[in-house]
Amino acid sequence: MAKKLHSFEAETVSERGGRGFWSLAWLRFRDDRVGVGSLAFVAVFFVIVFLSALGVVASHWNEEVGIHDAPPDLWGWLTPAAPPEAMGNAAQRAAQTMENTQHREALRPSTVIDPLAETLMQLQRERTDGALSESRVVDPLAETLRILGADGATPSAVKEKSAEKRTSLPLGGDRWGRDVLTKTIKGSQISIAVGLSAALLATLLGTLLGALAGYYGGRTDDVLNWAYSVFNAIPYLLLILAVAAVLQQRGVMTVILILGLTGWTGVFRLIRAEYIKHRGREYVQAAHAFGVPDRRILFYHILPNVSHVALVKVSLLAVGFIKAEVILSFLGFGVAVDEVSWGSMLNDAYQELILGRWWELAAAGGAMALFVTAFSLLTDAMRDALDPKIREAS
Amino acid sequence: MTAYIIRRLLQMIPTLLGVVLLLFVLFNWVGGDPAYILAGKVFSEAQIANIRHQLGIDQPAYVQIGIFLKQIVTVDFGASWSTNEPVSEILKTRLGPSLTVMVPLLILGTLLAIALSLVVARYRRSLTDRMVMVACTAGMSISILVYIIVFQYVFAYRLGWFPIQGWSDSLWTNLTTFAALPILIGLCVGLAPDLRLFRSFMLDEVEQDYVRTARAKGLTEKRVLWVHVLRNASIPVVTYVMAALPGLLVGAFLIERFFSIPGIGREVLLAVERSDFPVIKAITVYVAIATMFANLAADLLYKAVDPRVEFK
Amino acid sequence: MNAPNTPVPTASPALFSVERLSVAFRRRRQPPFVAVREVTFTINENETVALVGESGSGKSVTALAIMGLLPKYVAEVAEVSRVVYRGRDLLQCSDEARRRLRGTEMAMIFQEPMTSLNPVFTVGYQIAEVLRLHKGMSASAAQARCVELLDEVGLPEPRRALVRYPSQLSGGQQQRAMIAMALACTPRLLIADEPTTALDVTVQKQIVELLKTLKARHRMSVLFISHDLALVGEVADRIVVMRHGEIREAGDAEQIFSSPRDRYTQALLQCRPRTDDVPSRLPTIENFMTETECPPLHGEGWDGDGDGDGVSIQPLSPNPAPTRGEGSKAPLLLEVSGLKKSFYKRENLWRRHEIPAVKNASFTLRRGETLGIVGESGSGKTTLGLTLLRLHQATGGTVRFDGNDISALSKEAFMPYRRRMQIVFQNPYASLNPRFTVGQSLLEPILLHRIAADRKAATELTFDWLRRVGLDHEAFDRYPHEFSGGQRQRIALARALTVEPELLICDEPVSALDVSVQAQILNLLKDLQQELGVSYLFISHDLAVVRYLCDTVMVMRDGDIVEIGDVDSLYQNPQNVYTRQLLAAVPRGRDQGAGC
Repeated sequence: MAKKLHSFEAETVSERGGRGFWSLAWLRFRDDRVGVGSLAFVAVFFVIVFLSALGVVASHWNEEVGIHDAPPDLWGWLTPAAPPEAMGNAAQRAAQTMENTQHREALRPSTVIDPLAETLMQLQRERTDGALSESRVVDPLAETLRILGADGATPSAVKEKSAEKRTSLPLGGDRWGRDVLTKTIKGSQISIAVGLSAALLATLLGTLLGALAGYYGGRTDDVLNWAYSVFNAIPYLLLILAVAAVLQQRGVMTVILILGLTGWTGVFRLIRAEYIKHRGREYVQAAHAFGVPDRRILFYHILPNVSHVALVKVSLLAVGFIKAEVILSFLGFGVAVDEVSWGSMLNDAYQELILGRWWELAAAGGAMALFVTAFSLLTDAMRDALDPKIREAS
Repeated sequence: MTAYIIRRLLQMIPTLLGVVLLLFVLFNWVGGDPAYILAGKVFSEAQIANIRHQLGIDQPAYVQIGIFLKQIVTVDFGASWSTNEPVSEILKTRLGPSLTVMVPLLILGTLLAIALSLVVARYRRSLTDRMVMVACTAGMSISILVYIIVFQYVFAYRLGWFPIQGWSDSLWTNLTTFAALPILIGLCVGLAPDLRLFRSFMLDEVEQDYVRTARAKGLTEKRVLWVHVLRNASIPVVTYVMAALPGLLVGAFLIERFFSIPGIGREVLLAVERSDFPVIKAITVYVAIATMFANLAADLLYKAVDPRVEFK
Repeated sequence: MNAPNTPVPTASPALFSVERLSVAFRRRRQPPFVAVREVTFTINENETVALVGESGSGKSVTALAIMGLLPKYVAEVAEVSRVVYRGRDLLQCSDEARRRLRGTEMAMIFQEPMTSLNPVFTVGYQIAEVLRLHKGMSASAAQARCVELLDEVGLPEPRRALVRYPSQLSGGQQQRAMIAMALACTPRLLIADEPTTALDVTVQKQIVELLKTLKARHRMSVLFISHDLALVGEVADRIVVMRHGEIREAGDAEQIFSSPRDRYTQALLQCRPRTDDVPSRLPTIENFMTETECPPLHGEGWDGDGDGDGVSIQPLSPNPAPTRGEGSKAPLLLEVSGLKKSFYKRENLWRRHEIPAVKNASFTLRRGETLGIVGESGSGKTTLGLTLLRLHQATGGTVRFDGNDISALSKEAFMPYRRRMQIVFQNPYASLNPRFTVGQSLLEPILLHRIAADRKAATELTFDWLRRVGLDHEAFDRYPHEFSGGQRQRIALARALTVEPELLICDEPVSALDVSVQAQILNLLKDLQQELGVSYLFISHDLAVVRYLCDTVMVMRDGDIVEIGDVDSLYQNPQNVYTRQLLAAVPRGRDQGAGC
């Protein structure tokens, strides 16, 4: 049945005539409304990211433009005529949130024996001692915060700005008074750039090795397969963390290298399988029959036939790497302290949330969710247009 | 069968040696001299030489690899650099909490995803199906960090339904009290990708010729899906679940970190922060070994679910 | 109109009738594709009706529509259509009611038994499932009945077959199991959709015989769907010929074979080569479908009821080609002696298991002649071809090409011979690189072997070859997917010929094509041989095609050459038992003995 229906599709396609694989794929893609919509959305993101990379927007993300923890007031900024009370209200509301938080008993007394009992006991004591309200709120998660190493310490890079500080910002301010909106734009730039570059690196590496292993087989395949099984024996995140542990410097390039050099295995397996499949195809046999050299068959004959697989894999990997970068940066193993990404923003936001400042969390989490959703839907549409058989898990 | 297992066990040796080599290169060369890391900020040359001697890194590479292999076999990696606790002790005590969270999570998550994917497969190509898939994509796009932060803040911190963090010695208390929210979060995070994947497994099978045969036999649509399709789709599902098994040992790093669950994942993060190389090395090696055994188990199980597979 | 429950009694009780069936497939941005248009026919009790047509004729869609198995989300059945079974219009019935009919009153078997059986359940389970569902049998009763059924369809050791998985059975056994499953509830109507197409010719014969026996024993009606008119002639009482979703002609099998009225039917009958008579050129569909070239055929052309070797009038050129056969003195081009090719499967680290594909093959081929290699699947015929071209490395033996031993040459030294011997493959969909334009595909060998002085001359040359294989030079900039199977095979042929080879290995070049297209390609091959003097090594499972094209024939089985000889003597007087079996299994339609 499936075959039958496919043959109808094939007929439809050939009626269009005169087109190669990619333009046919484009025709199919164009029919997918969700795909086209997400493409437009991703394009907008890319434009902003590009402008940010050029320094046109968000180049001053690191400046203190507002008061500490300035509340968000998107509506007020969109309608300049709005009365100033709106901002005040927002600030008040934020304060109220804090108030509520304090009244709540955050931690139940633990009666069981607990490896963390000591820490908890200490927390408890501080609470009953009636320590400052601020610290009481932070306390339950103090251990985590301490480990994160960002507790209260102002990043040295934040630039003081003597000019008048704003009392509200479109998406609010962080606790050093930086504008969350520009921070989000800059963070998007870094996260997206890291994800895409690492995905490109991993795909190039995986495609090259997979092509060699799949095409030549034999000893080459044995050696590369061994390398694959070694990398594959270690769970991915564990491997990344191990590499992060030994690499002392932090930064964008480090993250790209870590992700790219450890993430090639999935592409390798997929491309290797494709090459094994194509190696036996008649058109390759025909090329052999003419005496076409191996290298030419490898890269000129077969590669175009598997390139769409690699393309889909790049975008699948990019999504995975963006998520991985966010986790790494959150844990402090990712981008450097004077850089910002969605991950480092979430780290800041985590600490702010406990004080009731939810806006940075919403901005970073929201920007990431929006972009990744659009990008994933785009990938789906692309895969449907190119070859629906490519899987995400592998 | 026995011959197959023996052959597979033999094949693990080169892979394991590869892992050892990889870790050796990583920890001895890529990251610079471990002696300086161990010595900390203040050190003298004599101290460094002393540490180098103690670590054995003043010896030739093959001797060091030999030591490493011996450590693996005897499960004796010495003491943690930062807490002085024996590494073997760390491994032993941290495994339980990780499994307490991950085993229920894996079982519940898989069953839930299978059931829902069959329902979705039934409504394939409909608007509902499409909406569910878009919702899944959106759900997958939210960082796991956001899930954890928000769930912890709302359900534990604000509403107080669960403890914010903590752990006890009683398995039951852990399961019902401390692990409940982590498991819930794990389910929410894992459901969307699993559902998408399992749905694609189901749809692959729905298109097959034998499904048409089953319909031609007059079987009900329910039986076609729940017996014929599910039985075939269970093959990739088994592969997928078995591949997820080694992950149990490492647990979910982030969940353990946020909820202060004293598991392996949290231990790894601590070790990475403190440059506690023996702990990282030990955990990585044993997880790799576990992965290889899980792969073998997966292939054996594969044979059980797919009669076409033959061991060669 | 009939009341639903009182079928109007007629002279011959129509068990089943299809009235004005039209099926359309919805498409995006395009009007629906009409796969079946206004198809009407009936099936009487205890009668075999055949639906015959080439690919895209809508015959399978018709069958699926009858069974109610068309996917609702793409397929639409026209309002006026009626599928009447015992007075009930099935198209008006609920899904549930139709489901209850499937497997009990009407059953279906499919083309690919391998994929049509569920791979993870035993044969016994799959058959018992039908019995338990429809008859409510207990597990043990169902099992006992399964054994009976498997025994009836001729599976050896039915008790053991019960617990086997489909992958443990051969193709023929799988199809037998499918038939047992379909028969489980003794349906009134059995629909067989190309039930033997995926099988070897000897197995096909057995399955067809089995279907005939079962039909007679259970007094079933059968709807037999096939592309093969000759095969249909052996089983059907009545034949319905379809093309492009419409019925071209319907009638008694006798009448269709003896005096076909429709031009398309005539063409189908004529373009298929036969094992018992050899025209020098096959008529093609165009010869029939264009009015002016219509050959005078009615009443005299087809030796319908004769005994097969009667004088038959050839529509186009009545005389056999003078070059055929007997003791040609052309120089030897290819001498193969003791050629051996084995594959190895690693058993463990130390032992390899040898699987011989070609054992000790020796034969010769003269310039300008055609050697046919015939065999069933797994006989080693394709491996032999690939080994000659050194696409596989030979395990042993020598190959002399034009007097030179080429079996031990280095890769570089063999390069000149890559120009002199070429190959055309079976699957026209895989033999052209899908990402290359036709021009790219054809230019590459020309440039690689420096046949033309520059790119411009090379392009001229490709235009020339495209013209010679009957294609327009516009094809140059197009991609393979824009061509039909036959056209692609022409392109593949042109590509192989660009280097002007002396030997062309044709590996099942027409097997994947429709009958009408086959004739065109076979004619083209014949013309090109006369024009270029190229030798062919023609590999095929199809004895009729080989008879048409070849001078010498070699029969292979399990890697051995069982018989080799001049084409006419081998077909008329086969020495080997296996050769005789093969020849006997070829379906002959109606001209050998009457009826079934």
